[in-house]
This record gives sequence, structure tokens and C-alpha cells, in this order.
Amino acid sequence: MAGKKGQKKSGQGNHGKNSDMDVEDRLQAVVLTDSYETRFMPLTAVKPRCLLPLANVPLIEYTLEFLAKAGVHEVFLICSSHANQINDYIENSKWNLPWSPFKITTIMSPEARCTGDVMRDLDNRGIITGDFILVSGDVLTNIDFSKMLEFHKKMHLQDKDHISTMCLSKASTYPKTRTIEPAAFVLDKSTSRCIYYQDLPLPSSREKTSIQIDPELLDNVDEFVIRNDLIDCRIDICTSHVPLIFQENFDYQSLRTDFVKGVISSDILGKHIYAYLTDEYAVRVESWQTYDTISQDFLGRWCYPLVLDSNIQDDQTYSYESRHIYKEKDVVLAQSCKIGKCTAIGSGTKIGEGTKIENSVIGRNCQIGENIRIKNSFIWDDCIIGNNSIIDHSLIASNATLGSNVRLNDGCIIGFNVKIDDNMDLDRNTKISASPLKNAGSRMYDNESNEQFDQDLDDQTLAVSIVGDKGVGYIYESEVSDDEDSSTEACKEINTLSNQLDELYLSDDSISSATKKTKKRRTMSVNSIYTDREEIDSEFEDEDFEKEGIATVERAMENNHDLDTALLELNTLRMSMNVTYHEVRIATITALLRRVYHFIATQTLGPKDAVVKVFNQWGLLFKRQAFDEEEYIDLMNIIMEKIVEQSFDKPDLILFSALVSLYDNDIIEEDVIYKWWDNVSTDPRYDEVKKLTVKWVEWLQNADEESSSEEE
Amino acid sequence: MSSQAFTSVHPNAATSDVNVTIDTFVAKLKRRQVQGSYAIALETLQLLMRFISAARWNHVNDLIEQIRDLGNSLEKAHPTAFSCGNVIRRILAVLRDEVEEDTMSTTVTSTSVAEPLISSMFNLLQKPEQPHQNRKNSSGSSGMKTKTDYRQVAIQGIKDLIDEIKNIDEGIQQIAIDLIHDHEILLTPTPDSKTVLKFLITARERSNRTFTVLVTEGFPNNTKNAHEFAKKLAQHNIETLVVPDSAVFALMSRVGKVIIGTKAVFVNGGTISSNSGVSSVCECAREFRTPVFAVAGLYKLSPLYPFDVEKFVEFGGSQRILPRMDPRKRLDTVNQITDYVPPENIDIYITNVGGFNPSFIYRIAWDNYKQIDVHLDKNKA
Repeated sequence: MAGKKGQKKSGQGNHGKNSDMDVEDRLQAVVLTDSYETRFMPLTAVKPRCLLPLANVPLIEYTLEFLAKAGVHEVFLICSSHANQINDYIENSKWNLPWSPFKITTIMSPEARCTGDVMRDLDNRGIITGDFILVSGDVLTNIDFSKMLEFHKKMHLQDKDHISTMCLSKASTYPKTRTIEPAAFVLDKSTSRCIYYQDLPLPSSREKTSIQIDPELLDNVDEFVIRNDLIDCRIDICTSHVPLIFQENFDYQSLRTDFVKGVISSDILGKHIYAYLTDEYAVRVESWQTYDTISQDFLGRWCYPLVLDSNIQDDQTYSYESRHIYKEKDVVLAQSCKIGKCTAIGSGTKIGEGTKIENSVIGRNCQIGENIRIKNSFIWDDCIIGNNSIIDHSLIASNATLGSNVRLNDGCIIGFNVKIDDNMDLDRNTKISASPLKNAGSRMYDNESNEQFDQDLDDQTLAVSIVGDKGVGYIYESEVSDDEDSSTEACKEINTLSNQLDELYLSDDSISSATKKTKKRRTMSVNSIYTDREEIDSEFEDEDFEKEGIATVERAMENNHDLDTALLELNTLRMSMNVTYHEVRIATITALLRRVYHFIATQTLGPKDAVVKVFNQWGLLFKRQAFDEEEYIDLMNIIMEKIVEQSFDKPDLILFSALVSLYDNDIIEEDVIYKWWDNVSTDPRYDEVKKLTVKWVEWLQNADEESSSEEE
Repeated sequence: MSSQAFTSVHPNAATSDVNVTIDTFVAKLKRRQVQGSYAIALETLQLLMRFISAARWNHVNDLIEQIRDLGNSLEKAHPTAFSCGNVIRRILAVLRDEVEEDTMSTTVTSTSVAEPLISSMFNLLQKPEQPHQNRKNSSGSSGMKTKTDYRQVAIQGIKDLIDEIKNIDEGIQQIAIDLIHDHEILLTPTPDSKTVLKFLITARERSNRTFTVLVTEGFPNNTKNAHEFAKKLAQHNIETLVVPDSAVFALMSRVGKVIIGTKAVFVNGGTISSNSGVSSVCECAREFRTPVFAVAGLYKLSPLYPFDVEKFVEFGGSQRILPRMDPRKRLDTVNQITDYVPPENIDIYITNVGGFNPSFIYRIAWDNYKQIDVHLDKNKA
């Protein structure tokens, strides 16, 4: 997992600061530039999210500005996708100059697939010396960090088990500013210790949910509050224990769902996480909707003193005019054009006669023609827009060209370098990119991979019906819709900029929705999305893994390793090959059954004894390979399948004994067995195997009923 | 004078160490980490001192250009922090005076006719002229070295200015005592002004006058300051009332004097005060013919003219006024942090060099600054 070194030291960055400061006191910050999500596709295919401009300033600048103000001394930027772009950007930015307020180091970590990987990587590198700020690269905030740090230190003194402080900002009643990943926090009212954390389903699912709290967690808590109105802006102060915990728990992936939930509900760790609640402005740009909202908030000066006219980048020259109009120098405005409220215009931009602009951001060196109407839109640098066009609530990325009389309806996203011919009328929520990205949600382009995919996708034609005869652009469909023609209205409206109220509920696709499903699904989708460069190789690896995994388990059994060692080895293998638990289970079961077969074949033991011996000893492995019902059902299906494949003499007995032994060891619960049984495959080739199990399940159900009737 | 061949030398001339300090300060200004014109003025002067000690130049005009560049970059970083531009212009004026003297002394010796031109009151107050030195006009040939040590002159100027700024309150307090009468009701709408605070406390303690002070609440940006201000006054046994901003008009008939603090004073006699709502208070005072006193240190005097008031007023965040709302359906909020008071609404300026009518401010400005340095930006000059 050790990424390539991309370290870059800034010259004599901290003049005089080093000398009189303990190493302990040096505040470090870790910035996760990658979100491991695909919400900003198709634009993130070209540029990483943290370099996308918000109000003409790359997102990362806001985060770094926050850290500079917070008095951080050392910043580590973790780059995964588009790492070179980020590295180049930082190298040429003011943060790399000698008077930068902190030392900035980019860490290339191209293999990282989730926050957990990054934390483990950090631990391996051993660069964290004390408490550090963990922040994602898309945060916009004006919180007073010193207060948060004070809170953190206070809590640290009071509670030795305190390992991390989360910053949560109170949301308004207005839903759009809320996070796209809703979650409920259960907090101790007096100390604001986080007692429990649970993801909530997206508003789009319109599900009613409940949260289940283990009563044990509420021991020693006088009063607690359950809140779902908090914006999680992903600013955490962590102690140096946090990377260690990630290291110890291989399966932790995300910071909140796995880590926070895992830590606070674990008795063994006995660590505590606190929440710092604030009223100040703190948000993450995590979807098109938040991008839209935050841009408007930023122009409306809700994040003061972080405002556009403080010109945080050296080459900026914004000045403020009333009604929240920001203009850089050398803007050419025609006499009859009208610039409405909340608008920012970059330098070198020309705006023609009769054009009306309102609530919009216009980048540098744009050519905006005559009689154009631009409302609630974002136009990035170097765009050309022809006369008489109407742009409503859309986003046009850099270097795009629009002909005249083009109409962009609500929620259109025009990618980098796209050309649109005259007289085109784009439907709501159309997304266009300049290079074909078929089902692009599943892969992110990297320089190396471009060529091979281009070949793959050569057959995809330009979307002539949308961009016109002279246009250049391909429709981008998010991964949810499989077929372009049959893409339903619902699919189109997912993850858009659109401000239609109904669509608010259909807010997002991508990983977070997958997160809601089973663990298995999630890891699979992570796999498919982030294996960009290794797409081709990964098939080999899958096979490899099966062999390797089986070998590992067999080795463990032969040499009689203890369970933990076997698990650790398997997990390492899983991580390095980046496969899901499903594969791990297959490998493990195959290995176990081979062992059983071996015993029977050599007549060391009878079929039943062999199964019991093997499964009693090694069945516990599954406890760390399957985590919820669906995964257990999957496990049982695999067992059944593999038994058939292994062609035992008495397959029914083997399956029966295997299940009984798992059941006796409390690995599989009754409920799960019933569920599995209800849905079990009716394929005739399994009939023989199931013979004995039928009886067993019936017996189980009867016993269950009897026991329950006895109780009554 | 502004088009000198040496101007390009600036970035390389000073050592990188100074550049680091300058850019750190610029970044701090941009992040608004330095607050208050007093702090900004002093920090700017410290920076200027380091800059001048490290600067290299061939001719004094080169040095002046370098300082102008520095001033320009600082003004750009925080356009509404006037005091940093002001102090730099003051030092420029000191240097230019020195240059003028030198040139004059040369011409005096060569022609021995020219009479020293007394251009302003400031020159009258200058320290006695140094003995004339016999030398050629330095601008004629580059090979000639000027004997005046401009570095020394500038640094001495900076030191004097630092002393002046630090002792400004003393000067103002001298005048304060005579202005406040017994049993008078005063109103101040600028609770964040330390000068006003000291002014009032001195009036109470030195002359043992009893008077009442009304402090406006200063919603939304200064409410906390107003409370602290009132508390401090109360601790000095001054009867203090915090009043809502909206009650000012009703109370004005009872008020004897309005005292305002300033952030910058422009040549037309108008002022930028550090709290929104001051303008309306002064308007009320005018309605009731209540005298308005503005207290200002000399370093707040700016040679700029407020043609476009909007450019000089700072706009703060919206979050203090209204709760967060849907950006598409919300009211647009504008939160002025500072406020412009036109000269006709101010009766007298109390500075550390005396009290002046607003219409006389331009005169003091030209005593301290040079016309040529009004715009430090080369494009505007």
C-alpha cells in the first residue's frame, strides 16, 4: 500500500517557528483530496473534484485557506485519482512558496480506495506525530478553529479515551443545505459525546427509519439527544490513535459508517468520539446541489470573512459592488447589458449588448454574446456563448463553446471542451462530456488508461441529436441507467443540479446509495469504480485470489495456525488484491470442503466427523467474513454450491453437518436459516444436496414453535 | 518621477527574507487576521522598517518607487484598511521632503538666489534644516552619490511616526477635558473605538466630571463590543446606558454631544466609521443641531477622496442578520460593517494636533502627504 513518493518540501517555510516549538505542538492536517465518489462526473473524469472551481477558485483553496487560518504547521495532501494534476497545482501555487503559512506535502496514494486505506497508509508512513486535523479537500467554512481545538483539548483532559472530535454544523430547516449523506447522531447532552451514529436512508427513498440503540451504550448517560439536523462537514481533530485503529480493523472503510460507528459501539476499544457543535458556516461541496447552494451562499457573503473580494489567490482582482456583484478588473461590459444580484465575473470576460445575467458565476476570458439570458448558472473559464442563447440553472465547464440560439434548460451540465451547434435545445438535466464515457460511473480516467478505453468506446457515436451537426459531445449517463434509450425520467433526474422540489428527493446516485445496501454490494461497487487502471488486470487477480486464498486457508489448517493469523492473512490478501468478501468466502469454503474431502478420501474420519471437525475449528472464520443477513445467506448458498461441485459421496450429509455445525457455533442464526431456506434455489441439481437439510430445517422450526408455545 | 528606470529592481533588491515577511503580512491582511487600524498601522510600520533596512537602491527615487510598490500591494490586499496606506504615504512624504531640500540646497549653492519655498504649515513645524551641502544636482549624473543617508531619514521618520501613533490618545485627551461639561449627556455610536473609550475615561478621571454616556447597541456586528464598552465605562463610575439603535432619534433631543470614532478621514472631511448606523446617528444629530465630534489620530487621515463611497465601505457577512435560507428564495442581505459619514454631518475633528473643522481637513492632509503619492497604483497615477 505504500504509494509512490511525491513529496515536495517547501523551502524555508517555517522560519523561526520550528525552534521554539515542541514537536507535539505542531498541528498537522491531513487533507483527503479524493472523495472516492463519482458525483461530479462527467467533469471529474478530466479534473479532480478539489480542483473544480467554485466561484472561480479551485475548491482546495478554501480548505487550505481554512487550515492557514487555523494555524496549521504541516499539511499532507492525500492524492489518489488525478494525483499528478493536484501535485502540479500545489507545486505552482502560493502554498509552495517560502512564505506559505505551513509546509505542504503531497502524498501519492493511488491504490487507496477509501478513507480507511488512506489512514492505514498514514500509519505505515509514520508521519503523524500528534493530534491532527482530518479534513476533506472540498470544505468551505469560516468556523473559528481555535474554539474547536480548545474543546478538543478540554475533552481530552476530561476523558482519557477520547480519540477524535467531529465538527458538526447546525443545519437550517431548509433541506437543501443538509448533507447528501444524512445521518443521525446520538449525543450525550452534557458532554456532547457521540454515543451512537447511524446512516439514514436518503430522503429520496422516502423510507421511514428507526434507529436501534444498544441499551448498553446508554449506560452512564443521563440525558441524550438524537439529531439528524447536523451537517457533517468532515472536519475532525483526531489523535494519533485513529490511524492505529484503522490499521487494526482492516475492514473499516469510511470514516463515519465504519469508523465512528465501529469505535463507539465497540466495548473492546472503549474509545470515545466527541462532537463539536457550531452555528458557523461549514459545508462540504459534495454534490451538484450543494455546489449550487454553496456558490450562492459564498457570493451572498454567508461565509464572511472568506469572501471572493478578499482575493485569496494571488492573481485575483475582485472588487465588490452592492447587491453582491463581484467583478475582476478588465471585464468588458456592453452598455446595455444588465448584471443582476449575486454575480461574479472573472477578468478578461466580454459581455455583449442586451445580455442579462443574474445569480451566476462567470469565469475568466469568456465571450458572452448579445441578448443572452443567464440565470442561476455557472460558466467556467474560456467559454464562448453565442447570441440569443438562454442558459437557465446550468453549468458550463471550461473551454466549452455554445452556438447561438442555444437553450440550456434547468440542470444541464456541459463538460470541458464540448461544442454545441446553433439552435439546439437541451432537455433538462442533460449531461454532456467531450470524450465518450459510457457507463462512466464505473471508471475514472487516468492518463495511462485513456487509450485503451478510447478503443473500447470508439463505437459510441457523438450525440448529434443533442449537440448538433457541428457539435462535439457525448451524452453522459450515470451508472444507474443501463440503456440510454430506455433511461427513465427518474434516472435522468438523479444527481442533478436541478432545483425542482420533487427532484430534491431523488438526489443522488453513486456510492452513497450503494452504501445503503449490503456490505457486499458496496465493496463491489467500490471495486468497479476505482479499479480504473487495473480494470484489465483485475480479472486475473480474481482468479489469482481464489487460488491464493484457498492456499492460505489450507496452509492455515495444515500448520494449525490460530484463527486470528489466518484471518489476518486472508484480510491482507483481500486488501492487496482488492476483492470482496464474497470471493473470500468462496475461497474459504472451497478450502474447508477440500479438507473435508481429504479426510473422507483417506478414510481418516467419517463424513460427519470430518465436517464437524473442520467446521467447528474453522467455521469461526466466517464471523469475520460475513456481517449481515444477506451475506450469511450468500455464505450458505456458496456452501451448497461448493458441496455439489466437490462431488462428495453423501452431499446431503455434508451440507447438513456443515450447517448444523455452523448453527451450533452460533455463526448462523435460526432466522437467517429460515430466510435462506425460503429463498433457496430450486434448481434440480441441488435437490439431492438438500434432502437432509429439509428435515433439519423443519425440525428447527418445530422446535422453535414448541419452545415458544412452552413459554406461553 | 514615477517613471524611473530602476523600478524593476524592487523584487530582487530586498533580500528574500524581507519578501517572506511582506508576503506573510499580505496574506494576513487578506485573511483579515490583523484587525483594527491601530494594529494595522503599527504592523505596517514595523514591516516598512525592515523593508527599508534591507532595501538596495541606486537613487533615492528608486527607493521611493519600491516603497510605493509595497504600499500598493498592501492596499490591494485589504482595500478598506486605510491606515496602512496612510502611514506609507507619510513616510514617502518625509523622504520626498528630504529630497526636495537636497535639490534645493544644490540649487541654492549654484545660483544662490532661490529662496526656500515654504509650501505648507508642515514645513514650518519641521525640525531645523540641516546644513547645506555643496554638491551637484544628483539627478543630473548617476555617478554622484548623495550624501544624505536616506535610509537613516526614512527609519527616523518611521520611528517618529510610531511614537506619534502610540501617543495619539494623550494628545486627544488633552483636548477632551475642555470639551466635556458637567452633567452632560453624551452619545457614542462607535463602541469599538478605543480612542473614544480613553477619551471618556480621561474626562471622568482627570477632571472628575460627572456625565452620562449613551452607547448604541450596534446590531448586528458590534453588540458584543457595545456591552463590553458600557461595562468598562461603568467600572470607571460613568453612568452608562446601552440604547437600541432605533431609539437614537427619540433620544437625540436630550443628547448634548455625539462622539464618534473614525477609521479613516478623507480630504473632503468625510469619514469612515467602524460601525454601521453611525451615518444615521449623525443625520439625527444634524436634525437636532447636536454637535458631532469625531476623534481621530493623525494617521487616520487619508489623502483619498471618496468619489465612490461604495468602494470604501466594507461589507460583512450575511449570516449575522438572518438565518440561513434557501438561496433561491431568500432575501438578499447586505451587512455594512463600516459606514460613511459625509462632512456636513460632522462639526469638528479632534485630532492629536488639535481640533479642526471638516472643511480644513484637506489642509492638514497636504501638510502630511504629497499629491504625487495619492495613488500608489502606477496605472492610476
